[in-house]
Amino acid sequence: MTTVQSPQTAETTAANRQVVSSEILPEELHPSSRIDATDVTCWFGKRKVLERCTLSMEPGEVTALIGPSGCGKSTFLRSLNRMHELVPVAAIAGTIELDGVDIYSEEMSPTEVRSRIGMVFQKPNPFPAMSIADNVLAGLSLSGMSNEDPKALVEQCLRRAGLWAEVSDRLNEGGMSLSGGQQQRLCIARALAVHPDVLLMDEPCSALDPISTRVIEQTIRELCEEITIVIVTHNMQQAQRVSDKCAFFLVESIGDPGRIVEAGPTTQVFENPSDPRTYDYVTGQFG
Amino acid sequence: MALTTPDLQALEEQVPRDIARTVTRGDRIFRTLCASAAAVSLFIIGGTALFLAIKSIPALQEAGLVSFFTTSVWNPTVGDFGVLGLLIGTIIIATVSLLVAVPLAIGLALFINEYSPARIRRILTSSVDLLAAMPSIIFGMWGFFALQAPLVGVASWLNLHLSAIPFFRLSEPDAPLLRSSFIVGTVVALMIVPIITSVSRDVMAQCPRSQCEAALALGGSRWGMIKEVLLPFGKAGITGAVLLGFGRALGETIAVALIIAFTIEANPYVLEQGGGSIASLIAIKFPEAQDLEISALIAAGLALFGMTLLVNLGARAIVRRTQIAA
Repeated sequence: MTTVQSPQTAETTAANRQVVSSEILPEELHPSSRIDATDVTCWFGKRKVLERCTLSMEPGEVTALIGPSGCGKSTFLRSLNRMHELVPVAAIAGTIELDGVDIYSEEMSPTEVRSRIGMVFQKPNPFPAMSIADNVLAGLSLSGMSNEDPKALVEQCLRRAGLWAEVSDRLNEGGMSLSGGQQQRLCIARALAVHPDVLLMDEPCSALDPISTRVIEQTIRELCEEITIVIVTHNMQQAQRVSDKCAFFLVESIGDPGRIVEAGPTTQVFENPSDPRTYDYVTGQFG
Repeated sequence: MALTTPDLQALEEQVPRDIARTVTRGDRIFRTLCASAAAVSLFIIGGTALFLAIKSIPALQEAGLVSFFTTSVWNPTVGDFGVLGLLIGTIIIATVSLLVAVPLAIGLALFINEYSPARIRRILTSSVDLLAAMPSIIFGMWGFFALQAPLVGVASWLNLHLSAIPFFRLSEPDAPLLRSSFIVGTVVALMIVPIITSVSRDVMAQCPRSQCEAALALGGSRWGMIKEVLLPFGKAGITGAVLLGFGRALGETIAVALIIAFTIEANPYVLEQGGGSIASLIAIKFPEAQDLEISALIAAGLALFGMTLLVNLGARAIVRRTQIAA
């Protein structure tokens, strides 16, 4: 897998990246995966909620999906790791390729897709019956994987999620004993434990206070060194702070499906958008 | 208290005031009606217990309170009564029925909740309800005429291959296998599947969707999600559901009376002909009983009443606890 970055993207990346303290990174720092969504249309029953969305999410980049509520960002995100189909009446058209392989084809099972493309949800959802350490390891037991050194894995994942220092002395306490922000970082650690190539985040900070948000944003910037990240956010500043690339989703008028109006490097989308609707949105003139 | 200002003092002295509760006449009447309805249910339980206790005194005095519960005899002519064997038999039958019913019911509940398409889910749900509404005499007849033959085959297979387990042994190689506790227990199992299924379904449906999605999003299979999230979440509630089923199995009468080859003595050979339960004792002996024997049957009924009441109270408490936790 060769990583091709346009000069512009590389520049943006450098500009946006804040201080990255990579204290613990696994030794095999491999270039991560790419996702290419082509003409993705999603339905719930007869209602078309998303139409012909095409977007490439590049390796090692953070892609932010922005737009007003109800414009299909979360649906798009959930279609990227086959969570969309869990809703009984859901349907999808188009292709989504992970490193060139269609994730909806028979070449990949949904469980394989989801262990390679992890997800962090809007509301922190650690498993209440499990300890902090067991929460991190949950993905292994869920998918029948084994690890010869689970202790080290717990530490590594918690460190990468920026939570280790706060919980290292109480790994056996319940996951629910943590604060909201800590729970969300625990969920990130849990997602990291199965070594995903891509991490999808559905408004991961919307339920958190500004300080917790800050910590998680920092974590995102550190993780994108090795994992491709796609994040849905309502927070324009957050999109600017963490993302390299932005896609703006919009529902034109009530009843229409959501579409991608504009996608490109974050600085361009925010400072020099090509579409007037994007300009209106990012400058806070509507939505 | 030098620093206390008059205002603070006033505050300290303040007590909750009366709140006028004016209730309209219609409301008062309706409330009284509802309260009476509620009182009836309490009265029935209390009344039944009291009736059973009073009526069983003569037999318990004649047979002796201790020996009534520690011997296995039924001799109305000399006033000798003991239900130990039947108490054990009741528990044997109920246990067999749980062993058959629990895997069936939980499998069914999981299939309905997690695997079945919406249309099949509706059909299954209403057929489970229908099963619950089926009169037990129907189960009894069906069990007697249609189920015995195949179940005897199962029994001899179990004996042949699993006789290492004491549960599956026979007293002698050629012992008859018809009309056994095993067959009765299996028929009773079919009657308690609906209650276990519907209560455990309700409990598992309360598992937050976000937990299930988290498990799937980690690359978990459906089975992994069920094992790691759903069953741990529903553990206590499912236990309650099982106990509710156990309570029903303890009291099941007509199917047992119809099928079992009734014995007063406990029969430890579950696969073999012969066995009994308190409820079947009452059903079988009652039509011809007189005076003291009636009192003895009522005493047996009191023992069953106490047993099922305890099991049910335990079950409800467990189910309620999970519902609060959820």
